[in-house]
Amino acid sequence: MEVKLHDIGEGMTEANINHFLVKVGDVVRADQPLVEVQTDKMTAEIPAPFSGVIKEFTVSEGETIPVGSTVLLMEKEQKQYGGERSFPQTTQVLKKRRILASPYTRKIARENGINIEEVVGSGAGGRILDEDIFLYMNGESQSVPVPVEEPETIAPAAPIKPDAETIPFRGRRKQIASKMSQSLRTIPHCTHFEEVDVTNLLAWKDTMKTGGKSISVGAYFIKVISVCLKEFPVFNARLNEQEECVELQSHHNIGIAVDTEEGLIVPVIKQVERKTMKDIHGEMKELTVKAQEGKLTMKDIKGGTFTVSNVGPLNGSIGATPIINEPEVALLAFHKTKKRPMVNERDEIVVRSMMNVSMSFDHRVVDGGTAVKFTNRLRDLIEEPQSMLLELM
Amino acid sequence: MVVGEITEDKDIVVIGGGPGGYHAAIRAASLGRQVTLIEREDVGGTCLNKGCIPSKVFTHFAQEFKKTKHLKEMGMEFGEVVANLSSLQNYKNKKITQLRAGVESLCKANKVEIVKGSASFLSESRIGVENGHEFSLFNFKQAIVATGGEFQYPDGIEFDSDRVLKEKEIFQLEEIPEELIIYGNDYISLEVATIFSILGSRVTLILNGEFPFDSAISKELFRQLKKQKVNVIKNSTLQAASQAEAKVTVSMEKGNGEIVSIEGSHFVASGKVKPNLSDIGLDRLRVELTEEDYIQTDREGRTSIPNIWAIGDVTEGPSLAVKAIKQGKAAAEAMAGLEVEVDLQFVPTVVQMSPPIACTGLTEEEARRAGYSVTVCENPVRGNGYAQLTDEKDGFVKVVSDSETDMILGIHMMGKGAVELITSGVLGLEMAARDEDFRFPLYPHPSMNESLLEAVEGLKGDAVHMPPRKEELAR
Repeated sequence: MEVKLHDIGEGMTEANINHFLVKVGDVVRADQPLVEVQTDKMTAEIPAPFSGVIKEFTVSEGETIPVGSTVLLMEKEQKQYGGERSFPQTTQVLKKRRILASPYTRKIARENGINIEEVVGSGAGGRILDEDIFLYMNGESQSVPVPVEEPETIAPAAPIKPDAETIPFRGRRKQIASKMSQSLRTIPHCTHFEEVDVTNLLAWKDTMKTGGKSISVGAYFIKVISVCLKEFPVFNARLNEQEECVELQSHHNIGIAVDTEEGLIVPVIKQVERKTMKDIHGEMKELTVKAQEGKLTMKDIKGGTFTVSNVGPLNGSIGATPIINEPEVALLAFHKTKKRPMVNERDEIVVRSMMNVSMSFDHRVVDGGTAVKFTNRLRDLIEEPQSMLLELM
Repeated sequence: MVVGEITEDKDIVVIGGGPGGYHAAIRAASLGRQVTLIEREDVGGTCLNKGCIPSKVFTHFAQEFKKTKHLKEMGMEFGEVVANLSSLQNYKNKKITQLRAGVESLCKANKVEIVKGSASFLSESRIGVENGHEFSLFNFKQAIVATGGEFQYPDGIEFDSDRVLKEKEIFQLEEIPEELIIYGNDYISLEVATIFSILGSRVTLILNGEFPFDSAISKELFRQLKKQKVNVIKNSTLQAASQAEAKVTVSMEKGNGEIVSIEGSHFVASGKVKPNLSDIGLDRLRVELTEEDYIQTDREGRTSIPNIWAIGDVTEGPSLAVKAIKQGKAAAEAMAGLEVEVDLQFVPTVVQMSPPIACTGLTEEEARRAGYSVTVCENPVRGNGYAQLTDEKDGFVKVVSDSETDMILGIHMMGKGAVELITSGVLGLEMAARDEDFRFPLYPHPSMNESLLEAVEGLKGDAVHMPPRKEELAR
């Protein structure tokens, strides 16, 4: 049987074969990784769909293949004689034995090692359709017959000019599009802005650097956010409407939005609450490089609980209305830092380094007051780096 | 026996060249395997040489013979029609030889090697073949046991006679028996009964149990036997059958315990098929058997020994070539690594008597026992225009459906053309058809097909050629 390259998520269209993790003739278990592939944004492993023997590779390492291509051939594990009674006497056929599927559909089930008796049919009168088998195989069976109705395109708003240039709208672009729309459709967004004086932070950073310890302000922000999340755990949560509860997440897994040539991607730093600023700094650097080089793995981009978008280094924008990375509750954007004349406590005009932040939150889960308290606390911790000493454990 | 010193290496060996065996061999060969087919007698097995084919020559002969009255009625002029069984034997033998040659040349064309002799397993990968004084040894990778079955008969029958016969011997007769006594209640007994009653024998049929059909078919069957002057003795167990000169005497115990003897010119018994396993050395391999001593197999036909499959009469289930053929192809495909399944749920049961019977799926009684809320319709063939003009008006089509879901559960037919027409029913049942799935398609007109259509339409009282139901008349 053929093992194919499937869309492993994020709307990939093709992948490069990095290397095979098995040899021809190897006996493999179901789920054992067979081959490592590289998509435009991550590396992933294709697992064995069933236990069996590797017969043949149909592609070679280094080759780029489209989704749906056969990667290798496997033979199913020699089934041992089951010993079951094969032929029910025709006179003892019971009602439940009747399988409501055409022989063609039954064959599809057989060839994929599916016991058709376990499949619930979505066709007329409970008939099992080909699609039911495929859904069952993908583990999306029965319980969720979600008819995703694609709205029919009636006519394009404006006819495309014959000389108009087109750029492809697929792959990651399309994936980003669907995630953004989904988030805006479900979450009532609310965004507020705050300005933060980072003069002291920059001075602290320089001091550290002179001492030979480079820490980016980005790493500092992440740690500060973790401190704030500890105090306001409702922002490190997800809403479960079905169960009518807000699930507070036990770890601070903070996603960092990274802009790459192919588009936005959000690798995640896990368990920030347990990590030192130095750890965070190192990990951020590593993940950013991986993102730029398209080497992120599924593991790297999963499990986020809060997202940070640091557009400061891009040297532009003083405010934004970011779209929350659903199903998270909030997202915080750090904008560019600029020296501005500010009025101090003694009513003097002084030159300070100022940075704006924009925070979007899910208004179903929290209200503006809590959000402002959150950014106030964040502001104070950034403006007075020494106050972070109090957070030492 | 001289044991050869050379052992040849084979890929697949198929033991038995009956319908199951040769289908398996050719299918395996077409899938790229090297196949050796071992047969101790003639390729084609019981089916071609002693069973289905000879009996169908006789049923066909009888049905054509019966037609002569109708042919004259239509205006065909010819003299007296005589049934000459001696000529029929020549015809039969010619046809069998032709068909057998056909199978052999198919094997050859597919590079299936045919080895003559009796096979016996020596181990799970080694088999010996004895042919007279020759003995060959083969190593094999996989094997299919397709050795078929042998008929077993009740005690008390003295077969060493030319008038006390087994079913296969009745089709070797060169003369029409004067008074034929038949023992059995299976399709063979029914075919033999109508063949010889049409040809002019006085026929007595002794039944030792119920017919395995829907009650409507059984009821009509008794009516047809009576109409054809077949003397039916129900519910009796054979005690003895023997010949004395030109007479046979048959004694039986009737349901009330009474012992009755009858006399006739010939006696034929229909036996029960038991698997042919005694001399192929399977006991040496300790292959798992069922309680009734069939070889136990899984859905693919694999036995408890992973490289050995079993098909046909050595496995449980109905003793029919249709089963063996399906299992044979499935076994070959399973050996080639394909995913296969044999499901005999809708196996068609046919009796090529006059008029023929063909059934598939649940009988009305089985459907009720299984808990369905059952609706049935019986559409008499008499209402079909084509049946009228061909003067084949006997029989009916009965459809059993589930009134909750409209699903068709069973189709039972008696009448000319039933054996060909039943395939529509089998296909419908396999596709889990509901009444509309049968009603929507177009049926050729005029033809027997319309009897099936109207039987389905009749489930809801919509058949044009059936009288309205009482409640409809009351409106």
